[in-house]
Amino acid sequence: MKKALIVLAFVLAFASMVSAQTINVLFWDDAYPRTLMERIPEFEKATGIKVNIEILQPPQVFTKTSVSVSKDHTDYDLVCVDEGNIPLFASLMLPYDQWGPGKVFKKIDPNTVTPAMLDVAQWDGKLIGLPINGNLYVWMTRKDLIENPKYKADFKAKYGYDLGVPQTFQQMLDEGTYFYDNGIVSGGFGPFNGGPAGVFGEAIFMWESYGTHFIEWVKGKPTLVVDKAKAVQGMEFYKKLMKISPKGAETMAHVERQAAFCADPKGVFTQFIWPAQIASYEDPDKSLVAGKIVYSAPPAGPAGRFAIRGTWAVNIPLASKNKDAAAEFVYWWASKDIATWLVEKNTVPARTDALTDPRFAKTKPWLAAIAESMKYAAARPRFNEVAQVQDIVKKYWIMGITGQMPCDDAMQKIIDETKDVLKKAGY
Amino acid sequence: MKRFLKKRTRKIILNSIIAIVAFLVLAIELYPIAITVINGFRRDINILSGQPLQLKQLTFRSYELVLKNAGFRLGMQNSIIVGLLSTAISVMIGAMASYGIARFRFKGRNGLAYSFLVFRMLPQISLVISLYLMFSAVGLRDTITGITLAHTSFNVPYVIWLLLPFFTAVDKAYEEAAMVDGCTRQGVFFKIFLPIVAPGLVVAAVFAFLNSWNEFMYALILTGVKAKTAPIAINGLLGGETLTWGQACAAGTIMLVPVFIFTLAMQKFLIRGITAGGVKG
Amino acid sequence: MSSRKPATELLRAQVQSGKARRRAPFLFLAPAIIVVFAVLIFPIIFSLFVSTYNWPLSQGAGVRRFVGFGNYTALAQDPEFWNSLKLQLGFIFIAIPIELLFGFAAALLLNREFFGAKIVRSLLLLPVFFLPILSGMTWRFMLQPRYGPLNALLLKLGAPEITWLGNPATAYAAIIVQDIWRMWPFMFMLLYAALTAIPQELMEAAEIDGAGFWLKLRSLTIPLLMPTILTAILLRIIDALRVFSEVYVMTEGGPGSATMLFSLYTQRQAFGYQKVGMASAMAIFLLVLSIVFALTLVRKNMSLDVLEEKAGA
Repeated sequence: MKKALIVLAFVLAFASMVSAQTINVLFWDDAYPRTLMERIPEFEKATGIKVNIEILQPPQVFTKTSVSVSKDHTDYDLVCVDEGNIPLFASLMLPYDQWGPGKVFKKIDPNTVTPAMLDVAQWDGKLIGLPINGNLYVWMTRKDLIENPKYKADFKAKYGYDLGVPQTFQQMLDEGTYFYDNGIVSGGFGPFNGGPAGVFGEAIFMWESYGTHFIEWVKGKPTLVVDKAKAVQGMEFYKKLMKISPKGAETMAHVERQAAFCADPKGVFTQFIWPAQIASYEDPDKSLVAGKIVYSAPPAGPAGRFAIRGTWAVNIPLASKNKDAAAEFVYWWASKDIATWLVEKNTVPARTDALTDPRFAKTKPWLAAIAESMKYAAARPRFNEVAQVQDIVKKYWIMGITGQMPCDDAMQKIIDETKDVLKKAGY
Repeated sequence: MKRFLKKRTRKIILNSIIAIVAFLVLAIELYPIAITVINGFRRDINILSGQPLQLKQLTFRSYELVLKNAGFRLGMQNSIIVGLLSTAISVMIGAMASYGIARFRFKGRNGLAYSFLVFRMLPQISLVISLYLMFSAVGLRDTITGITLAHTSFNVPYVIWLLLPFFTAVDKAYEEAAMVDGCTRQGVFFKIFLPIVAPGLVVAAVFAFLNSWNEFMYALILTGVKAKTAPIAINGLLGGETLTWGQACAAGTIMLVPVFIFTLAMQKFLIRGITAGGVKG
Repeated sequence: MSSRKPATELLRAQVQSGKARRRAPFLFLAPAIIVVFAVLIFPIIFSLFVSTYNWPLSQGAGVRRFVGFGNYTALAQDPEFWNSLKLQLGFIFIAIPIELLFGFAAALLLNREFFGAKIVRSLLLLPVFFLPILSGMTWRFMLQPRYGPLNALLLKLGAPEITWLGNPATAYAAIIVQDIWRMWPFMFMLLYAALTAIPQELMEAAEIDGAGFWLKLRSLTIPLLMPTILTAILLRIIDALRVFSEVYVMTEGGPGSATMLFSLYTQRQAFGYQKVGMASAMAIFLLVLSIVFALTLVRKNMSLDVLEEKAGA
């Protein structure tokens, strides 16, 4: 009898080791997840968990999550959720405090995540999932241009102060104009006029920098609180920046921006960047200006500096049948070892100790800038109907900044139609 | 004799002019494709620089990366399987149905024919969510069977309506003669009718294959890791946030090859079908 | 040993073959009916059902509420909806006739053997084979002011410096041009296949009778090709109503809503705003429109009987 039990125990132990669990993961398409994919085989070997990866563009990630994840059914055991969509999916996801302790990789302490980022996955008083990248506006400026002695002398003569990384909006406009008017660059400024979420980000950036919020949660409801006069000022200033932007700026999405900054022989002087894309901008194979970029926090508008946040979080659907395995994957992903390696590879995880590791201070100049930006982190408003409001803002913001409509009218349209959406949504 | 010669030289001159015009039209029409093919051989940095092409810039790097990409290879494989399967099924049952509509007068004939048409007019976006729920419930999600079925659902009506003019143009005399000789309807259809309408079947096969090959929306929602098709794989290379334009162009060029081969293969049948004799007596 | 008379046997045979004759069409039609209806009937009924609900795409957004005709009235009052319908119809009525013209001209032109004719006929089809999202991306690339080759060409020809896809009018023109470029070879292929099916004897007979090019065209070629022309137009309309990927990739419906065609707006409602109820109402609206269109065709000159008569002429 004893022998039989020993054999049985052995067989069971063997079976549990060999039975490969499988998790389905939905990644957004970016240098960061793609870099991570290189080391996933290690995770699979260490834990015996097979990882099936689907990697799609962010809007499609949103669509597939909406379609595939419900309270009692899910196609994925782990989904990456963009911060703006957390409210929508929060009720379908497992709160972080209920995630398992982890077998091979131990549960990650949420406090290892940079505080400015941790907020992203907080909804309704709970931490839903774990923020996984430190993505927020960081400013890029062409080092080779501001250090050029001829330009320095010329600029000082014309404007009366020293050329340098723009610290204020006015500086940004002056310096950008100088380089643009003299044909030294194809663009003095690189705007973003692509997807609605991104344009919304730029608009919020300008409005906050000019001293007004757009939508705030007042008494449990998203409410329009924008100061129209200040918002119009923000729009008017961006309109000025559009005049020194590269050709085709009206439709510039990420690819066109990167093309203008990295592939154009003359390039662009200054613009915001999502740290997630820095890997491409600093890749000599893809960028003519790799190594020629200086990073900083965004310049300050009249109301100060603001850095728009755009972080992704990883979540485990409540309906998943492999919650522990999925959690294990996250613990591996967010471990110090992997996070440090990710930083080495020019991507930006959300672990403070990896981001502030002194080893990288010199070789990864953007890390210091990201840390600086985090002091000024600002979030886009989050509520269920944000998609409709983003479309409204994108439509009229672009009309305003390109001169198709007077900024005042454009802003009024934004206000009226947003109020309409909020009212129809019952707020 | 003199008049004859004049006519021949006129013909030669006319043909030459037409040849020149034809190649000119072809060149203009293929310009965007040429750009894509060439860009598959360039680095992203050069493609997006706005500078003119320089021969020394050409590289196979994008093709290397694309062919090494396991996701793309899987996508191509699945696309070929699904394409061939849904084409074969759609042309077979579509031709049968088109024959049924073209040759028989029965009550509700117009209604049936037009309901196929109406079904085909609905955009995929309107149907995909319900299809997802349906397929999910019966376990067809992310399977070759599932996506083939989804493709067949829009190919069959297409084939039916594409074949109707070809079918109605055929003289009934051949079939009637065969039936008098004791042949069944089915026999007539397979042995006599289909060979006659071969050109139409070829066109139908080409476009059914194409519709399935290039289809995006159903593949996006109804497939996942296992059954994903080539358009989904390429979609990943279009670089929403990063530059992989060269790879997208390389992959796109690779995607043109199977369809092109399929069409060339079919063209042989097309020509054979034509030279086998005119359709009408 | 049969006690039946030969006459009744003959009668039985006749009755049986009559039954067989009546069964025959259904044997031919059954597979297609089963496959198509099985796959599509649930989605259509489901769409009808959902269109009467306020139905968020993600369950996370909350409950589904019955609203009856609410979505339909909302659509009727939605300027974006009417805009998308207008843009869609404009797209169809501008692009398709031009595609037909080009395709027909090419079919006539290339319906002869000259040096390289086969190559031209095969290669001409490449745009139709081109992956739609790649086609959209390529056109977007070509029209980009800074590095787009088409833009460079247009500037050389004296065009003003506009961001083609940033200007509502030119963006709309661009998506139409993209479609014409991609699909006129389709018309060509259909018409060419039909043209080659016309027996040489008929053509030669007409020539011997002294018919010139235009007379042949008008009274012989076009009438013979009419069923194919009508089918080609019909097939193109079906596909043009569904056009999505290439336009989405080119403009995302912008600038503003200048290129927000019907399926783009449906997609925006369903996936952007998460309003599946509204998207379903749009689908049902399109369904009704298609049925009306089909009925009109039946009434006018596309009734199948007439189709046969024309072919038999």
